[in-house]
This record gives sequence, structure tokens and C-alpha cells, in this order.
Amino acid sequence: MTEFYRQYLSVAVLIGAAALMFGAMLGAGRLLRPNRPQPEKFITYEAGSDPVGGWGQSNVRYYVYALLFVMFDVEAVFIFPWAVNLKSLGVYGLIEMAVFIIVLTLGLVYAWRKGVLRWA
Amino acid sequence: MTPPISTPSINWLAISPEIALAAAGVVMVMLRSVLRRRPITMPLCVVVAISGVVAAGAVEYRLWQVVDHHRAISTVAGMVRVDLFGIFLGVVVLGATLMTLLLSVAYLRREGLDAPEYLALVLLSAAGMLAMTTANDLIVVFLALEVLSIPLYVLAAFDRRRLSSQEAGIKYFVLGAFSSAIFLYGVALTYGATGTTSLTGIASFLAHNTLLDQGTLLAGIAFLLVGLGFKVAAVPFHMWTPDVYQGAPTPITAFMSAATKAAGFAALLRVFGVAFPLYRADWRPAVFALAVLSLVVGSVAAVVQTDVKRMLAYSSIAHAGYILIGFQTATSRGREAALLYLFVYSFMTVGAFAVLTVATRRGDDRHSLDDYRGLALERPIVGGLLIFFVLAQAGIPFTGGFIAKLEVFSAAAQAHQYVLLVIGVLAAVVTAYFYLRIAYTVLTPGEETSSAKPLETPRRVDVWSGLVLVACAALVLVVGVVPGVFVHWARDATFLL
Amino acid sequence: MWEQQVAFWVLAVAMAAAAIGVVRSRNIVHAALFLVVVLAGAAAQYILLAAEFVAWVQVLIYIGAVVVLFLFGIMLTRAPMHDDAGALDNDQRWGGLVVALFVLGVLIALLVNAFGGKKIHFSNALVSLGRTSHVGTDIFRVFVVPFEVVSMLLLAALVGAVVLARKD
Repeated sequence: MTEFYRQYLSVAVLIGAAALMFGAMLGAGRLLRPNRPQPEKFITYEAGSDPVGGWGQSNVRYYVYALLFVMFDVEAVFIFPWAVNLKSLGVYGLIEMAVFIIVLTLGLVYAWRKGVLRWA
Repeated sequence: MTPPISTPSINWLAISPEIALAAAGVVMVMLRSVLRRRPITMPLCVVVAISGVVAAGAVEYRLWQVVDHHRAISTVAGMVRVDLFGIFLGVVVLGATLMTLLLSVAYLRREGLDAPEYLALVLLSAAGMLAMTTANDLIVVFLALEVLSIPLYVLAAFDRRRLSSQEAGIKYFVLGAFSSAIFLYGVALTYGATGTTSLTGIASFLAHNTLLDQGTLLAGIAFLLVGLGFKVAAVPFHMWTPDVYQGAPTPITAFMSAATKAAGFAALLRVFGVAFPLYRADWRPAVFALAVLSLVVGSVAAVVQTDVKRMLAYSSIAHAGYILIGFQTATSRGREAALLYLFVYSFMTVGAFAVLTVATRRGDDRHSLDDYRGLALERPIVGGLLIFFVLAQAGIPFTGGFIAKLEVFSAAAQAHQYVLLVIGVLAAVVTAYFYLRIAYTVLTPGEETSSAKPLETPRRVDVWSGLVLVACAALVLVVGVVPGVFVHWARDATFLL
Repeated sequence: MWEQQVAFWVLAVAMAAAAIGVVRSRNIVHAALFLVVVLAGAAAQYILLAAEFVAWVQVLIYIGAVVVLFLFGIMLTRAPMHDDAGALDNDQRWGGLVVALFVLGVLIALLVNAFGGKKIHFSNALVSLGRTSHVGTDIFRVFVVPFEVVSMLLLAALVGAVVLARKD
């Protein structure tokens, strides 16, 4: 087995241990807890306010949060390959990355000033 | 310590037009963030938007000088290739963008829409279109396709009070995302078969290697054709066109019908002309079918429409058929005809939709043929321009539309595509019928019923929309009267390599 | 390398079981969570193929972004969130079966066509090709323009989403 797979074997072992522990805890809970299903329990939890009414089950506003998350998720994907090459890319890479991040930050500032991040 | 990597040399001039538009769009987003809804925001945004387009146009002019005297510029590791072909279509895109912006000034005020976002999205979309005209790599083509599409989905749905606008946005988005996925699959298959995404790289790979099994590459080519066929609204990938053109705000319809089509054909002509000239025998029959179907469906379906925007949507499908004839010949003569047709068509269609924009009243929802009855009698100039633009689209002599059709037909004849030629002529006859029907309706006095008089409100056309109308009419007329110059430009722009 | 084969089959069986769970589940949220298992399995398969960067992109984008969008989509629509067989079943099993078999056929034909009988030998060069640093060098050396265009794309998408979701 090569070095590459040996490294990922430890990752796999870690994931397996985590899954085992997680499953054990949930399984223990399942054995101990009472089970009384009610339809109310399936209603979306929305910070204590009543989500019933309107077309959807939650406010469309939350959609923008999901989109902001996706945006910065994609940003993270591009930051990784830059970060591992930080030294060899030098100033050139820094500038390219700065342009990338600044443009995305402007989007965030826009969303903030537009008031979509405000609650209420 | 790893050695520093070699950075690609960047010819900044070559990518400046895209940068100008994108920067203007970003500045507008900043303005909106900083100034919010101050009264100054709107005029400031208009100035920024127009200066962005004008700056991009100035750079295109400079690039034209450089490329004309030297040779095509290939820069940023071969991702971008600026040649006369790209510049020609870039100018078409910029022209359509400028017209759209000018047309939108009064429109946004009349409809009470959020101006900065609208203008920023138009600019970002136009930046994507420009990137498309000079893209020399399938990845750049795909990203440009997305950058031009995503703002357009939003712009189609921008007038959220109107249900038809929301419907247009959803339809365009679902079908557009689907077609983008197909295009991307085509890119992946082409990469799988040739090992590169660079258009020139694919061409040289195919020139030096014989593929034992061509299935993967042929499937890739087919998917690329489907994805781009959707963007240029070629039948059978046209289903979205009537609904989206009808529902979108009218200046955006003008933008979509002119600039998107130019960008889509830029990609079609370049990808197939540069990367797959050796596979001509395989893709020409497919393009033949697309051209025939577009001509037939576009012209026949337009006849039965009662909504003027839908009629013009189907007519734009028929126009795509004519451009596809030029593309199908796969000769430089055919490319020249396609380019000239795109140029003329852009200004004819922007002009027609500009008339629809100024002729209707607040709400932008009265576009049935009955609403236009008697327009030329009440408002002779506006109605007269509508007649001019539809007749130009029909291809009457002394307009650019005539020259464009003539060029396409002679290119088809030269390539011995007589079937296409005959179908094209027949389609021209059928389309002439409904263009004349529009002209006739505009000239007949309407019945004096109270509710059927929606066109009375805006008596005056604002100066910017007026400028657009006059400029479009003048361009269409000039191409018709002195076609030599434009034919010459289009001929210069046909050399892809 | 038999270890690789064993790992492949373990993952493949788990993925297939989870994929069946996606379509069989009576609870749409559970279906989305089964999808996470399938996607994570795909990420692990990429690792087996020594495509390290692709694997982590799979985790970030698919498990991170796409599934989150699924869950938001479920929340924003009237999709029933409790076990309700009737509400989720729209009687298109046969149509679904036809499409699934068609896609399977196309993929098999394509893969056999392109790679049938070929053996890819594992080497250190192959591993370094899939490493993040290699991809990074490529992004910044060759694909700079696409990289910057992506930021414009994301900005346009965000502005568009805010415009469409705004209240006023």
C-alpha cells in the first residue's frame, strides 16, 4: 500500500470511529427515550415564531442566507489551492486572490446594506 | 521553498473591454450599497453604466486598429483570443447594450423599478457576452455563458409585480440551467476525447491524431450544439423564447434578442469553426436540420400569434434560422453572411422592441395586436418607425434586412445548398405576411371604444429612447443604402485562424 | 492492489444502498440525508482514484452547498416533512425506471467505449497530479481568467438573489 492510501486509511479509521460513537449515542437515546409522535413535532422550528401561514414553510428571506453560504463555500474551494501554493505564487497570487475576495466581499456589503441580513 | 511558478503574460488591452463593463457593474453595486436610495443614485448609475460601455467601445476600437495592422492577439495562456471576428461581434454586443441602457432610463422611471441593480445586471451580462466573443477555451465559453445567463434570468423576472415577468424568469432559469448543464457535459466529453479544452488545442489534436473511436467526441459535439442552440433560440430548443420574450421587461427583451443572440452565435461560429472544422461532415447535417426547423417553425408559428411581442419572438427564431444557413455552409462566405445578418438583425430587433417600449404605457403589459391598432395615425413618427422596422425585418429593398437576406442566400447558393435557399425564400414570404399584418394594423384606425385606447398616455418620447430609435433606424437604413462598407467589415472579420 | 478493490466494493455497496434509500424513503428530509451518504461515498471513491482535490471539492460543494440548498428548498416549499407516503408519490415510477435505465445504458456504453480494457497504473506521478497544489498551480498559471470570472459570476448571482427575494 502506498503512502497516499496509508494517510487516507487513518482518515477512514477516524470517520469510522466517529460514526460508531455517534451511532452508539443515538442508539442509546433511542432505547431510553419515550416515543410519542405528534404532527406538531414536524413543524419547522423558526426561532419560536409561528411558521404556519403563507405559501412556504419558512420565510423566503432565509433563502439569501443559504445563497451567501454557497457563495463563500465556493470561495473556500478556490482558497485551498491558493493556500497550499502561497509561497510559490507570491505577490501575483496574492493580487489575484485579493481581487477575487474583494469582489465577493462587495456582494456581502451589498446584501448587508440592502438589509437582507437584518432580522425582523 | 518551491520555485515561483511562471505567471501567464497578460495583454491587458485585450481583456480591457470585459474589465470595463464588469468594473462598471461592480461600481454600481458599490454605489447602491453606499448611497442607498438617495435621489443622486439613479443619475450617477446611468452615467457609470454608459461610461463603462463607451470605454469598452473605445478599447474595442483601439483593439481593432492593433489587430487590423498586426495579427490576432492571443493572451492569458491562450484563454482569450482577440481577432477581427471577436471585435466585430463585440461591437454588436456593445451597441445593443448601449441601446438597452438608453432605452431603460425612461422605462425604469416609468415602471418604478430598482435602477442600480437592473443596470448592474445588464452590465455584468454584457461583460459575459463580450468574454464569449473572444473566448478561445471551452471553459471560458462555459463561464461566459453563465455570466451572461444568470443576470438575464433575474432581469427577465425583474418586474415582479407582473406575473408574466415572474413566469418568464422561472421558465428561462429552469430551461437555461438545463441547457448549461448539457453544454458542460459536452465540454467534459470533448475534453475526454481530446485531452484539452483549448479550441486551438482541440483543432491541432484532431489534426494530428486519428480517433479510433469517435463516439465520445461526436456526443460532445452534439451536446455543445444543443447547449448553444438553446441560447440562440434555434428550433427545437426554442420553447422558452415566446414566453420569455413576452414576459420580460421590453428593453430586456430587446437586449436578449440582440446581444444574447450575437454572443451565442459568436460561440457557435468560433467553437465549430476553430475546434471542429475537420468534423464538418458530422455537424453540418445537424445544423442543416436546426436551420430548416427554425425557419419553418419561426415563420409559421408567428402567423397565428396575436401578441406583438410573441410575434417578434417567433420572428427572432426565424432570423436565427437565416443566420444558421450562413453557419451551415461552413465557408468564409457563409460566416460573412452570418456576421452581417447578426449586425443588421441586432439593430432591427432593438429598434422594434424600442418602439414597443415607448408605445405602451405604465405596466408594460398591453402588447396585443389590437392595442397597436391605429398607432401610426395617432403618433405618426413612432408608428412609422414600427412599420419601418418590421418591413426591414421582412427584407424590403433599401433596408439592411434586404442586404442581409441577400448575402445569406448568395452564400447558400455558392455552397450549393439549394434546399436551404428555397426554404429560406419560402420562409421570407411567410414572415412577410405577418410583418405586413403588423404594419397594416398600425395603419388602420381603431374603433373608438373606451377601454381599447391604451396607447394614449405617453404622448412624448423621452430624448434617450428617441436617440435609440433614430440610431437604429439610421443604421438599418445605412446598411441598406451603402452596404459595401459593412460587407467589407464582415468579410474582414471572417478569418478565424 | 486488493485493498483498493475491497475499499471500492465496500463503498459501492454502501452507496447503492443509500441511493435506494433516497428514492425509497418516506420522509423527504431523510431522502436528502441519504443523498449525503451517496455523495460522501463518491468523495471516497475519488480518493481511491487518487483525485484528492476533486474529493474535497465534492465534500465542500455537494455535501456542503448542494444539500444545504436542497434542505432550504424543502423548507421554502410545501413539501411534507413528516412520514407521508401519499404526498411524496406521484405515480411516475415507470417513467423514472425508463429514464434511469437509459442513463445507466448511456454511461455504461460511454465508459466501456472510452476506457474499456484500459488499465491505469497507480504511480506517485498520478497522486501528485490530483494533489491540491498541482490544481492550484494550474488555476493560477493557466486558468486565471476563468478564476476571476467566477467571482463575477458569484457576485451576479448574489445580487440577483437579493433582488428577487427583496420584500419591497
